[in-house]
Amino acid sequence: MNLYAGQVLRVDLSKGEVAKEPLREEWLKDYWGCWGLAVKYFCELVPPATDPFSPANALVIMTGPLTGTLAPTSARFGLVSKSAHTGTIFEANMGGAFGPELKFAGYDGIIITGRADALVYFRIKDGEVSLEDASAMKGQGIFATEARLKAAVGSEAKVLAIGPAGENLITFACVGSEAYRQMGRGGAGALFGSKNLKGIVCQGTGGVRVADLEAFRRKTTHWKQTSLLTEDNLWAKSDGTPILVDVTNEIGLHPTRNFSLGVNEGHAAIGPEAVRQAKLADRACAACPLGCGKFTHINGAEVEGPEYETLCLAGSNCQMNDLEQVIRFNRLCDDLGLDTISAGNTIGLAMDLTESGRRDFGLRFGQAEDYLAVVSEMANLSTARGKDLALGARKLAEKYEAQDLSTEIKGSEFPAYDPRGNYGMGLAYATSERGACHLRAFTIFASDHFNIEALAQDVVNGQNLNAIKWSMCFCDFWGTVNTEIMADLLTAGLGRPVTAEELDRAGERIWNLTRLYNLKAGFTGADDRLPRKIMEQKLGNGPNEGRVFSKEDFARMLQIYYQLRGWDAAGVPTKEKLAELGLQPL
Amino acid sequence: MAKHLLAFPDLCTGCNRCTYVCSAVKEGLFIPARARIHIQNFPLHGYSVPCICFQCPKPECLEACPEEAIYKNDEEVVLVDQEKCNGCGVCVPACPYGMIELNADNLAYKCDYCGGEPACVEECYPGAIVFVEPDQEQKKIKALQMKERSALSEAEKKRLERAEIFLKEARPAAAVSA
Repeated sequence: MNLYAGQVLRVDLSKGEVAKEPLREEWLKDYWGCWGLAVKYFCELVPPATDPFSPANALVIMTGPLTGTLAPTSARFGLVSKSAHTGTIFEANMGGAFGPELKFAGYDGIIITGRADALVYFRIKDGEVSLEDASAMKGQGIFATEARLKAAVGSEAKVLAIGPAGENLITFACVGSEAYRQMGRGGAGALFGSKNLKGIVCQGTGGVRVADLEAFRRKTTHWKQTSLLTEDNLWAKSDGTPILVDVTNEIGLHPTRNFSLGVNEGHAAIGPEAVRQAKLADRACAACPLGCGKFTHINGAEVEGPEYETLCLAGSNCQMNDLEQVIRFNRLCDDLGLDTISAGNTIGLAMDLTESGRRDFGLRFGQAEDYLAVVSEMANLSTARGKDLALGARKLAEKYEAQDLSTEIKGSEFPAYDPRGNYGMGLAYATSERGACHLRAFTIFASDHFNIEALAQDVVNGQNLNAIKWSMCFCDFWGTVNTEIMADLLTAGLGRPVTAEELDRAGERIWNLTRLYNLKAGFTGADDRLPRKIMEQKLGNGPNEGRVFSKEDFARMLQIYYQLRGWDAAGVPTKEKLAELGLQPL
Repeated sequence: MAKHLLAFPDLCTGCNRCTYVCSAVKEGLFIPARARIHIQNFPLHGYSVPCICFQCPKPECLEACPEEAIYKNDEEVVLVDQEKCNGCGVCVPACPYGMIELNADNLAYKCDYCGGEPACVEECYPGAIVFVEPDQEQKKIKALQMKERSALSEAEKKRLERAEIFLKEARPAAAVSA
């Protein structure tokens, strides 16, 4: 096949069996790859009422058609499953180089079900595939696990692995790869853990074919030069995501001190200039010329990063204006296998509870020693407070009646943009299929941060575009990529005409299918909500001082969103909308 | 003076676009395992090492070949005449850098500078691989890289062994191969 490998791996961990099966080609024109195709496989395989930790839940890992080619930033791949952190269907995608390696080994994806009796890893070396004993890696961090699995296969093998957090079923545990790349949100690591799957190692020596290599190379070069490597995107090369520390403080929506402030007065200490001072090298995912990863080093502590989300949630939100400590925190989370957004957000909440005298966790804003110690306590469940914080923000707040202080939606902790400073982000968080998330729609660059009608439309457009963009495995940071460019590359790669219109419709179709799944899983429009804190507590400083995102404004915006989506007032897609998209009710 | 391909590991981001394009040009599909350039990645330490053919003044692959299938052209580029290659493979351990290998048809293959316009250089946005007439400083860097020779027999292991030396120099604190 052109672009696709044409084959997926099916792993039944309960039976200890691995099989190769043809890719469902009939689904490609509607779902394409990565997110979309994985959602389709998942919805066909796993009934919505399934307990996420049960053997019946599936992990669908999927690459995209352009993964493994020179199409820039297309090396990503994704995982779709049902999250134990949110109870929703969710998608998490990752850069690095595992996705291309899987294609080179001859597979578009891996579908994993069941539960192994004891800890195993999945070994892929081209056509040789097997489940192997991983008991020697029990309790080990991601870095050590990766080294062991590479040693077992080859120095340039690529690995997905979990750390103790995943093994201990912490519901916001991540899956790591290439040391500092993660499927961060939604708790993919806990799902690996629930299946007794420590990791996957893959080495592939095959290739990816395209229909017209000359045209494909010409088009990739053209779009690379005229779209990717232009001023709109080159911040990724020059500064990487730390630039957002300055941007969000200027707008006044930079979560600070457990989302009580919108400006961190001390942000320069963890901003882009501080990161530049600490930088040793630029790092890139496979096939990406940008190299947004900034490898930093301070006083013996090093990490690729910290990225903006970590600088904010584990920096400003914990009032940790000390880059060295944030680097240490970042590295611990990456090795032990915790999502830095969820961990930073939850620790900020625990600091708030401690300082307000409501519950003493021994964690205080800006105090580094316990802030670092508690990461390991959470991942290893080794102390009472570690066990508490490992619950995540929602359950921690429920346990200590602190729902007025927590910031989560559907159990997913807020990322680093306060919706009181941009209403579009509130709607984006509330309607994301995986709970509060900034990677479905991103409206902070809107000209008016509070124009409900315009922002509702921006959120719909962003969600639809990202649904197809993540299905093509493009990176967020190719901000100027569009379905015209995607269609042009696919046309040369597949050797048949692909239109932007069919890709636009696929994006909307994928978004609606995830909605149908969540509705069947028991969610309703009432779950498209904002936390009390955002609706009732005024933002404490900066340009948006005194602002809330009121219950009334949010309710109005949500109804506008439902109408724009062709959903009824309860947030259910209408029959007409489903027919238009070629979807059946689940 | 002839142009040389030069690699600067400190600038390499590990994106591997060079290996993708090399394999596309030479093999007709994206198959980096068959590229004529390789990248050894050490993501934990934030380091990657491009492995290139130096087109040696006294090529050991050439000297080892019993069939005289390996030769130098007028631009001092070391080439394989696959018509003459009998697949004996003695060139593979002979190269101290791991930059000549046998393909699936048991024929030797290596970097040929793409006839004077290396495709890998075009794709290297960070500037870690360049094709230039080297100045004194660049000649020194190339000579230092060529000094690190591997006596192992497999090409992949040679490349790893050499790359770990450069990693240790760049990241002295790194626990290499830990």
